[in-house]
Amino acid sequence: MTNPSPQGEPLAGESPFIELLHVSKHYPTAAGSFAALSDVSLSIDRGAFVAVVGSSGSGKSTLLSLIGGIDRTTSGQIIVGGTAVHALSERAMSAWRGRSVGIVFQFFQLLPTLTAAENVMLPMDFCDVWRPGERRARSLALLESLGVADQADKLPSRLSGGQQQRVAIARALANDPPLLLADEPTGNLDSRTAGAILDLFSRIVEGGRTLVLATHEPSALRHASRTISIVDGRVEAPGGAVIHA
Amino acid sequence: MLRPRWRKVLRDTWLHRGRTALVVLAIAIGLAGAGVILNAWALVDVATREGYGASNPALATLRVDSVDHALLARVSAMSGVRMAQARRTTVARVHVGGTTLTAVLFTVEDFDAIRVGVVTPEAGAWPPDEDGMVIERSSLDMSGASVGEVVRLLFGDGPPVGITVIGIARDVGLAPGWMEHVVYGFVTARTLARLGAPSTLNELQLVVGDGALDQEGVRRVAYAVRRNVAALGRRVIDVEVPVPGEHIHSAQMNSLLYTQGAFALMALLLSAFLVVNLISALLVGQSREIGVMKTLGARWPQLAAMYLSIAAALGAAAVVIALPSAVIGGRMYAAIKGDLLNFDVNAYQVPAAVIAVQVLVGILLPVAAAAVPVWHGCRSSVSDALRDVGIASAADPGTLPLRITGLARPMLLSLRNAFRRRLRLALTLLTLSVGGAVFLGANNLRTSVLGATDLMFAAQRYDVALRLANAHEPAEVERVARAVEGVQAAEAWAGARGTVDHGDGVLGNSFFITAPPAATTLLAVRVESGRWIAPGDGRVLVINRALQRAEPSLGVGARASLIIDGRAAEWTVVGVVETGTSATAFAPRAAVAALAPEPGATSLAIASAYEGEGSTLDLIQRLRATLGEAGMPVASSQLVAESRRVLEDHLLMVVDFLGAVAWIMLLVGGMGLASTMGLAVLERTREIGVLRAIGARNSSILALVQVEGLTIALLSWVLAIPFSVPISAILATAFGRIMIRVPVTYVPDWTGVAWWLALVTTVSVVACAWPAVRAMRVPTASALAYE
Repeated sequence: MTNPSPQGEPLAGESPFIELLHVSKHYPTAAGSFAALSDVSLSIDRGAFVAVVGSSGSGKSTLLSLIGGIDRTTSGQIIVGGTAVHALSERAMSAWRGRSVGIVFQFFQLLPTLTAAENVMLPMDFCDVWRPGERRARSLALLESLGVADQADKLPSRLSGGQQQRVAIARALANDPPLLLADEPTGNLDSRTAGAILDLFSRIVEGGRTLVLATHEPSALRHASRTISIVDGRVEAPGGAVIHA
Repeated sequence: MLRPRWRKVLRDTWLHRGRTALVVLAIAIGLAGAGVILNAWALVDVATREGYGASNPALATLRVDSVDHALLARVSAMSGVRMAQARRTTVARVHVGGTTLTAVLFTVEDFDAIRVGVVTPEAGAWPPDEDGMVIERSSLDMSGASVGEVVRLLFGDGPPVGITVIGIARDVGLAPGWMEHVVYGFVTARTLARLGAPSTLNELQLVVGDGALDQEGVRRVAYAVRRNVAALGRRVIDVEVPVPGEHIHSAQMNSLLYTQGAFALMALLLSAFLVVNLISALLVGQSREIGVMKTLGARWPQLAAMYLSIAAALGAAAVVIALPSAVIGGRMYAAIKGDLLNFDVNAYQVPAAVIAVQVLVGILLPVAAAAVPVWHGCRSSVSDALRDVGIASAADPGTLPLRITGLARPMLLSLRNAFRRRLRLALTLLTLSVGGAVFLGANNLRTSVLGATDLMFAAQRYDVALRLANAHEPAEVERVARAVEGVQAAEAWAGARGTVDHGDGVLGNSFFITAPPAATTLLAVRVESGRWIAPGDGRVLVINRALQRAEPSLGVGARASLIIDGRAAEWTVVGVVETGTSATAFAPRAAVAALAPEPGATSLAIASAYEGEGSTLDLIQRLRATLGEAGMPVASSQLVAESRRVLEDHLLMVVDFLGAVAWIMLLVGGMGLASTMGLAVLERTREIGVLRAIGARNSSILALVQVEGLTIALLSWVLAIPFSVPISAILATAFGRIMIRVPVTYVPDWTGVAWWLALVTTVSVVACAWPAVRAMRVPTASALAYE
């Protein structure tokens, strides 16, 4: 294990791109504490296409939220690209998330009052990457690469599910993050469109990015270089690089 | 090019344009209400400083037996005196347009050289000449006189003198003639001589010090002058020292503006609650979007700036709407105040700083109101925001509404719905119920004022008061008057002006002492403390509260040295009464008549045997004729009913101004309810869809919304009743300080309560109409698809 830098500086030497050490996440509920993840330790290499599988409520989405800095661990450590995500302040977390992680949701979560191009430009705007004059061109280029350039100036409500998800992927790529997290991205699409989206993900990984995909979709496993199975908040062998029972 | 986040802000605002417009309108109404008061205040303030101040008003006035050039020169040279001017004030009568009114005539040696209390010519000729008088503007409408008209002036039993009104002028130092029911005129000494009135100048108007002296400082200088004048062998009758730089009515005006300003500010603050409603709903509705934006790298200050800018934009839009109406309304209101103060405010502009305050408040108040919901909404964690499943889940009505049973299910649903958003409910209730409380408070005040006026005039058991040109033997005056047909009762009263001697050579301001016979039957003033005058009383005084306020050392049992006609005597205060806004006192006729400059009775109170003003006016004519024939000419006459009307008009005008604020609050409250119900319908679109899916008809959906609105309205009505008690107390206390003491109402006037119920119900039905129509228009399928 490497010694992570709390400031998020990548450390020299070979190390896994994502590393989880004894990570647990508990949610308080009216019926008491609910363990969404229990003592999970795993590592993922740079450039991997990892499929996280498990039944509904098993902890897949929680795992992605913790890796992406959307949620905080109850205990344990998470290091992504040399950054100790669990130790970041809210402000640093926002900045890190905006530049280092692209997130794709099941229900697309495009902002309904912005056009497709504007949705893609939004992360650049928040994180102040790319010069303002270049942002639309980049947004159009991303939409072009995902095959929805002709939908650039339409509101999300005018787009099909597949088109919306392509726009959402373009938005996730807007700040050129090294890590992409996708939570059930094909769960709301027909099988043909879902296949096309998975092909897109494969292309993205080939471009050098790391992708962690939570899915129920059996076809997704064919695209993945590795599968992690989660049952009741624990990583299950085989397939898990590190297993803690 | 506009950044995407700002485009989102614009489009989100446009998306909720109906509700946004409602909030903008509510803030605009609150802002306009407060702005009208503030602008009027500022204009009156500027007019006071630049108009009244520039007129160089007399800081002290000494009434002496006569002022000649030598005395004026001596006084002008005295230490502490910056300016001195001689003047004479003559009380006469003017016959104009078929009626005879009291005239107060001012005379100086050279009208073109007035330096103290500068008079501004406004129309026609100036100065007055031997054949022409100039009328003060504030008396013009009341008298009906016009430039070029010949009026008749009368003094005592002297012959009427026809004189032409040659011009109109304004003296900002005078209380308005229409208010005092006198015609102010400027005439030459020769005109006075033609009237048979003394024409020697007998007032010394002084401007003292460097303008920085307070009332006590001015008083010290004025009394030093008094001592020096007396040392020269002249008789000083009294010394008047008003509050420096303050118009005679300015304290009343300021108190009125303070009270109104406080309520207008309250209306503005209540309108800010609507911003809380709107922004909270926007944030709750967008919590998932906020979560998504955070995953895209948005930091909370960036998000907060987005939503606060919406609040600022609402404020800016409200300012654009409110400011012109606030300036126009402020000018109109200031013009009314100007009429009350005898100022012309048209020549002045609202200061830029006052406009800037309104712009800043208009923009910053919504931002401040939105700050808390924005802080909560934007600081939530990304995971919480993303997990938020919408609005409905957070809407637990609590246990209280669950205890309500026995009603039809749809009715129960409406009742419970009303409690689902408790903070919003509380804000809506607060807005409506405070509006109701002010409405009830103003209504209570109106009842109290009418009651107090009734009480005050119940004391005056006479219909007409006649002022005699000279003093006469009381018994003789009464005998002559009683012989006139239609006179039911007549009492001759004495009267004099008195001043409290504080013992250090400094006197208080003078006040009138009314002196009826000890066994009077025409004056039955209700005594607040102590007792009324009794037969056999010597030098005893019953003072009114206004005099007690001016001379706090006077109370029941207090002994005071009173100077009447330059002679000091010891008096004992035996009672305190409430008779109105002017300082006055009552004493036994015999005691006053003995000390007055002219021993005997100077006025006559008459109880008429007739009903109706026409008959009473005829009686006055016959009384004038009979008394005149008996060598007791009447200087002026006054109908008690007319005095009451004038007083009531002025008092109720103040009450109505306060009531106007209640209407503003009602409007804001109605908009708050409309906004709340609009949000409720929006949030429950899915529920409405479910209700439709299980068979609810349009009428049920309409009833669902209207009953919920009525539940809130009725709750606010109930709350307004206890809230109105402290507000009534505040209003009554403030009114008592400004005008007359009125009883504090602890039990609301039930007619007002019923009116408020009718009003708030109507407001609720109107406010809920559009949300109900929207609810009815939602198709079942899209309602169920709504997230």
